[in-house]
Amino acid sequence: MKLQSKLVIIYRVLLGAIFLLLSVTLFYLQIAKGEHYKEIAERNYVRIRRIEAARGVIYDEKLNPIAENNPSINLYFRPHLIKNKDDMADFVTSYLPISRESIMKSIYDYRFLRFNEVLLYENITYEQMAVISEKLNYFPELFFKVETLRSYTINNHFTGYVGRINSDEYAIYKDNGYKINSLIGKAGIEKYYERILSGKAGYEVIQVDAHGRSLNIFKENLSKEPENGLHLVLNINLDLQKYINKIFPQNIAGAIVVMNPRTGGVLAYSSFPEYDQNIFASPISTEDWVNLRDNPKKPMLDRVINGSYPPGSTFKTVTGSFGLEKGYINSETLLASCIGGLKIGNRFFKCWTSVGHGRTNFVTALKISCDMFFYDLSKYFKIDEFAAFVEKNHLVEKTGIDLPYEKKGFFPTTEWYTKRLGKYYGSHGIKANLSIGQGEVLVTPVQLCAYFSALANDGVWKKPHLLKKAIGDKTLFYEELENNEGVRLPVSIDHIKLLQDGLWQAVNGAGSTGGAARVPGVNVYGKTGSAENAHGTSTHAWFACYAKWEEPELAVVVFLENAGHGGSMAAPIAGKIISYYNKHMRDK
Amino acid sequence: MKISFDRNFDWHLFSLWAILVIFGIFAIITASAAKIGNDIVLKNYYWKQIIWFFISVIVFYLVLKIPLTVIDMLIFPLYIFTVILLIIVLFMPAVNNAHSWLFLGGVRFQPSELAKMVMILLVSKLISKDHISELKMLYKALIGVIIPVTLILLEPDFGTTIIFWGSLVFMLMQAGFPLCYLVLLISPIIGVVFSFNWILFVIASLILIYYYYRERLSWVLIVFSSVLNTFVFFLTPVMWNSLKSYQQNRIITFFNPMHDPLGAGYQVIQAKIAIGSGQVFGKGFLQGSQKNMNFLPEHHTDFIFSVIGEEFGFIGAFLLLFVFYLFFNRIIYLIKVVSKKEYKIAIAGIFSYLLLQTFINIGMNLGVLPTTGVPLPFISYGGSNLLINSFAVAMVLKYSVYKEL
Repeated sequence: MKLQSKLVIIYRVLLGAIFLLLSVTLFYLQIAKGEHYKEIAERNYVRIRRIEAARGVIYDEKLNPIAENNPSINLYFRPHLIKNKDDMADFVTSYLPISRESIMKSIYDYRFLRFNEVLLYENITYEQMAVISEKLNYFPELFFKVETLRSYTINNHFTGYVGRINSDEYAIYKDNGYKINSLIGKAGIEKYYERILSGKAGYEVIQVDAHGRSLNIFKENLSKEPENGLHLVLNINLDLQKYINKIFPQNIAGAIVVMNPRTGGVLAYSSFPEYDQNIFASPISTEDWVNLRDNPKKPMLDRVINGSYPPGSTFKTVTGSFGLEKGYINSETLLASCIGGLKIGNRFFKCWTSVGHGRTNFVTALKISCDMFFYDLSKYFKIDEFAAFVEKNHLVEKTGIDLPYEKKGFFPTTEWYTKRLGKYYGSHGIKANLSIGQGEVLVTPVQLCAYFSALANDGVWKKPHLLKKAIGDKTLFYEELENNEGVRLPVSIDHIKLLQDGLWQAVNGAGSTGGAARVPGVNVYGKTGSAENAHGTSTHAWFACYAKWEEPELAVVVFLENAGHGGSMAAPIAGKIISYYNKHMRDK
Repeated sequence: MKISFDRNFDWHLFSLWAILVIFGIFAIITASAAKIGNDIVLKNYYWKQIIWFFISVIVFYLVLKIPLTVIDMLIFPLYIFTVILLIIVLFMPAVNNAHSWLFLGGVRFQPSELAKMVMILLVSKLISKDHISELKMLYKALIGVIIPVTLILLEPDFGTTIIFWGSLVFMLMQAGFPLCYLVLLISPIIGVVFSFNWILFVIASLILIYYYYRERLSWVLIVFSSVLNTFVFFLTPVMWNSLKSYQQNRIITFFNPMHDPLGAGYQVIQAKIAIGSGQVFGKGFLQGSQKNMNFLPEHHTDFIFSVIGEEFGFIGAFLLLFVFYLFFNRIIYLIKVVSKKEYKIAIAGIFSYLLLQTFINIGMNLGVLPTTGVPLPFISYGGSNLLINSFAVAMVLKYSVYKEL
């Protein structure tokens, strides 16, 4: 067959050509150039040295640093240079507080990655370094590197902290140039804006031999400068933040949020008790960790976004606006006369004062915080409609603040009750309790602050956020990163005005509950709350308010855990904050 | 029909296969070793490979025992099954940015490996009929290939796709599809390759036209093909400019790994250093110092040839090349002597896909071909790879029983 023999010849020629090419290349690499490559191999000339990018600094609005980079001396080893691992472990343990097991574990973990640089100990003092350096020539595997350590100028819950990348994070981030020893944001702003802060490492290709001759393996210069991370400028005002830390009552847990109602920018963000997040910068001692973790006041808990609590009477604005929107009441409606309480079913629901308030309209009820009015109003409510209304006021879903791990609020529905109790009874008692912010309803301080901001802003709700802008090689405003258009609350402007009137009365009116928040020369609109809860004998003290000059400029929420009454405990603090702002921060 | 294996069984090819696989196990043992001080630590790859070796032997035995008629009946259901697997694999988590692995318990499997063999068996069956027109042959071959190729391209696995098309060309050639038509079909590539230089393009086009003329191709076809190629020539720069810069970078890096010195380029340079530093005699079994360099992740798989080059030197690496050469040469001999047309086509398909894989892989290790994730047949670590390649050899041996002597 002519075709067949022709094909076989084609195959043979092709096969021969391929193997000739491969053999000749092999010969060239191994025999002609073998000596050259052997030399390179023995000395490991070609190295790619990583140049770390500087992590962006976090500033407050006046460019005072909140998180900055300080130099840190770190001890590393290269596994492939270890001569005797026991000697090395003896040496290191005798100078540094590090356990033998952890050294052995590092060596074992990197047994297949022997050419890597492995971190042994961070943040070594100059004295320790001096002592160790003297003997370092016996241990070629050990070497120092000067790197940076993140430090925080003020204890706070919003910046979070950085730490060494773990294997889960590494799996996600390795394509973005992260290494096994890289620092990465673990919480707070550091985590949320990790990609903006971290920048991108560069590299330098070193290809010269011991005599400085270029090996010419890579033809062009392949080094690349690192791209430093952007700096973050927050809306936070560090002076206000420090002032709040100073006036916050001793030995009480709680949270304070201050926002600009018109932008949603967070001016101050405090959760108490505080803790020093600098202890996470270097490996934390077990003792410190146990102290922090087992402290009954839970200093690690960020109460601003991760604590949800019954809002108490601050919630009456929501209840009232629902009644107004549904047309159950108008500004004139007088409900059942308060005689210190109301009998619902076979239970007597007490108003906060046993004297009784008589018959009131909505504004007065808000001013004197009469529970009766809202108990009576709630009898008209359908619980699911009420729940949907609360949700539309952004008191259930996360606000979307630029921090990780934000918690939701909670408002019960018939579905939830059915699951919980087997059947929903629709009783007036349950609704009465919810109407004054008691029972199952829970909100976080930041949700409440955003809600009161929206009331101040004539019903336009803005997303709370810490970031003002990122600066560096380029400038990025928060508004470019996230949508901050604003959403309208489901309340008509007339009813908003009515609510605002009630809130003003509740601070400034005769017999009001929030009188302690009055500030001369400023219009303060606020509502107290004293929420009963299962966790303590005394109530949670709340005060939610905003302050208006020509425009509303400040919304403040003060929350004190089991501290007593909102009017006596929380309102004075809010007053001091507004007063401080009025004196020191306006128009500057 | 009973055929005695003793008389017609091709022990020659079988021995070459066994030598390659056993060579591979030693290479994997050394590629999974690391030295700490004077201790040598082994990763557990090699015994997994030994288990796969025994499974392959069992498959070998089964393939030889099952009658060809049964295998014939299984081809179409197997094709459907493979297509289903190729669809499922797209929903699997990505490894190295490609959805090519199927996870079953602790076992990983690449359906595209199976697809290659199934495609070869199916297409050889479809196009082997006598007195079949060229057009019909082409269209039948495309039917068998287009679905798996599209699915594999979606993973995406570019290297495997190239091998698919390569095998198809060989099979068509073996089936008697005129060479000049094949050239005609492939020729638009010159429009892409020479798009940067119109002089080279014109020269290449003239050579082609001369070749067509010699083969007495009709003028209509010649003109049509030339116009098409010219169109491709002009279209390529337009297409290129419409790509995003990261896509352009990816393509540049594919052809020139040095473009990405921290990624593909680093692997290539380290592979060259490892191979080169092995010199004539190599550094000895388990003694390679370069194999622990930064390109370690692919050491026991795609870059295993560089470990062989480093530890066994030119003598060892050339010996391996020579065994491969003998192996392929024997398959060519079997294509010649096997009696049935269908079997010839199938063997030609198997021959080409193993040869292309070997060439692409070793070429990549030596730095003469772009880096693609193609393993070295019989040598690289990987169960599904070894199993399917061994299955392919078993099929060749099975066909070769029907020799025309």
